[in-house]
Amino acid sequence: MSIYLPIAEMSVNVALFLAMGGAVGFLSGLFGVGGGFLLTPLLIFLGIPSAVAVGTGSMQILASSVSGAIAQYRRNNVDVKMGMVLVGGGIFGSAIGVGLVRLLRLVGQFDLFVALSYVTFLGAVGALMLIESIGTIHRTRSGKTVSARKTGQHSWVHGLPFKMRFHRSKLYISAVPPALIGAFVGFMAAIMGVGGGFVLVPAMIYLLRVPTSVVVGTSLFQIVFVMAATTLLQAVQNQTVDVVLALLLIVGGVVGAQVGAIAGGRLKGEQLRFLLAGLVLLVCLRIGWDLVAKPTEIYSIGPVIGSI
Amino acid sequence: MQRPRSITLGLPSVMCVCALVFGVPFATNAQSQDSTGMKLSRTVVAANAQTRPRPKVRMGPRRPPTRERVPPASAADSSAESAETIEADVSTRSVEVTAGFTGHEILVFGSIHNSQQPTDDSGYYDVVVVVEGAPEPVVVRRKSDVAGLWINTSSVTFASLPTYYAIAANRAIEEIAGPNVLDKLAIGFAHIKMTPAPGYKWSFSEQQLAAFKAATIRLKQKEGLYVVQVKDGVQFIGRSLFRSTVSLPANVPVGPLVARVFLFRNGEVISAHIARVTLERAGLERVLHNFAFRYPFSYGLFAVILAVLSGLLASAYFRRQTG
Repeated sequence: MSIYLPIAEMSVNVALFLAMGGAVGFLSGLFGVGGGFLLTPLLIFLGIPSAVAVGTGSMQILASSVSGAIAQYRRNNVDVKMGMVLVGGGIFGSAIGVGLVRLLRLVGQFDLFVALSYVTFLGAVGALMLIESIGTIHRTRSGKTVSARKTGQHSWVHGLPFKMRFHRSKLYISAVPPALIGAFVGFMAAIMGVGGGFVLVPAMIYLLRVPTSVVVGTSLFQIVFVMAATTLLQAVQNQTVDVVLALLLIVGGVVGAQVGAIAGGRLKGEQLRFLLAGLVLLVCLRIGWDLVAKPTEIYSIGPVIGSI
Repeated sequence: MQRPRSITLGLPSVMCVCALVFGVPFATNAQSQDSTGMKLSRTVVAANAQTRPRPKVRMGPRRPPTRERVPPASAADSSAESAETIEADVSTRSVEVTAGFTGHEILVFGSIHNSQQPTDDSGYYDVVVVVEGAPEPVVVRRKSDVAGLWINTSSVTFASLPTYYAIAANRAIEEIAGPNVLDKLAIGFAHIKMTPAPGYKWSFSEQQLAAFKAATIRLKQKEGLYVVQVKDGVQFIGRSLFRSTVSLPANVPVGPLVARVFLFRNGEVISAHIARVTLERAGLERVLHNFAFRYPFSYGLFAVILAVLSGLLASAYFRRQTG
């Protein structure tokens, strides 16, 4: 059975896209990540125009994050004040990103920019995660206790102005770093069609030193609001949000995520991170290969997008 | 405890979605009326072609109707009073692109009035059918190796190129007519008019430009949007009837289609006919597309609400399942 997508303007196989949403949902449930970094490249491989893949991806991420965010909020795992600062920065960054999408499509470099962003971020995050998980696996194997995160460390972050008290995180830091991190993640969301959890979570832990108990909840809080804003902005500026495609992915995704979460409960954290790192690096290599390998067709054809 | 909550959450959300889907795009609903009106006129008319002589011949893709008659065949034996004319129509005047659209096959058929050909396989006439989508500007980009990365480095913008181009003939078009005739009528991929967009500065040699043009056609063919059927693409039935099937692929760009039918004799066009096919979005396809492009802000809000509700409904469902 196939369905014609109103915005992507192509006929797609319903079962294939449901299955893909399910597979990505399974992995996101397994690893506890949003899965945008897998979904958007997969959509592009399957022939969805990259701008539509990115725009629709943000809608799918919104749907898959919203229930998690509410559950975390109920458990009081969200630092709302920190979340607001992140969201403020995020919406700003997203607006810049959506504008840049328009500009890049105009000059024909959008695909390149998306590919480069993916290779850079996935490569960096994947490599860091791989090193960290291998280290942890080694240490636990050799019987040494894993040292806990040091708290109370001071760095250059603490010298910045606009200090705010974040009660839930027990932090008294400048609002500038969270706003900047939020803006950066919002920008990435708009360009790459990802939630940005894979940058947001490490940044909050290592740069802001937010307690791990509130990191996931707060990052989900940020992702929900920034994704909602990004979906709206992409729809208004670029008309690249395909609700039919998004619904297919959402339906497949929620089912897959449930199964994945059950499977994920049977694996250790560092094992999961090791597998996830491998997956991230594979996606990175796949996209990178297309950039460096001599293409079979060096020409491409596209519509003329109206001037700015 | 959780059961009543999910119901109180679910009911208003379903109502919201319904209200949004059916309530917002009033204008588009009103518009779809005329497309249903069009459907009524979708009848196959070919019989009256013989009784109503239509000497008006329109040639070329976008020329206003002219009274001028195509000069009679260059063949010496054909006299003025027995000049042949071609009449044609399409099986489907209006094709609707709905959610289930997977392409559509249209039949272009017609007859040669005053046909002189003794049998259907005599090769006396040649018939060429060209079905074209509305012309649109396109940009063609070329990648080159920049420090190890393959990057779009140069591009050419063509002012107008048919979004879709299907050509069918009873034999290879190069055998039917010379390049000048084909160029004039834009028959065949190599003869499609490809001119630069106004104000576009050329910085390419003829050779490079030719490569761009060839690549454009190649890519369009790869997408299945430029199709050629020359071996029996047009079939003669008896002395005067002919038929040709053209398959519109699932990715055919939505817009009006023009079917041009040419009658050739000895390498010259002796008659031509134009039929039109409308290719329009219909149903939910039309509602959503118009919604997204005419009311992008409302559409964006709709997308956000839809995403939030579907996420909440799904998790409410699974929470109930797992207890």
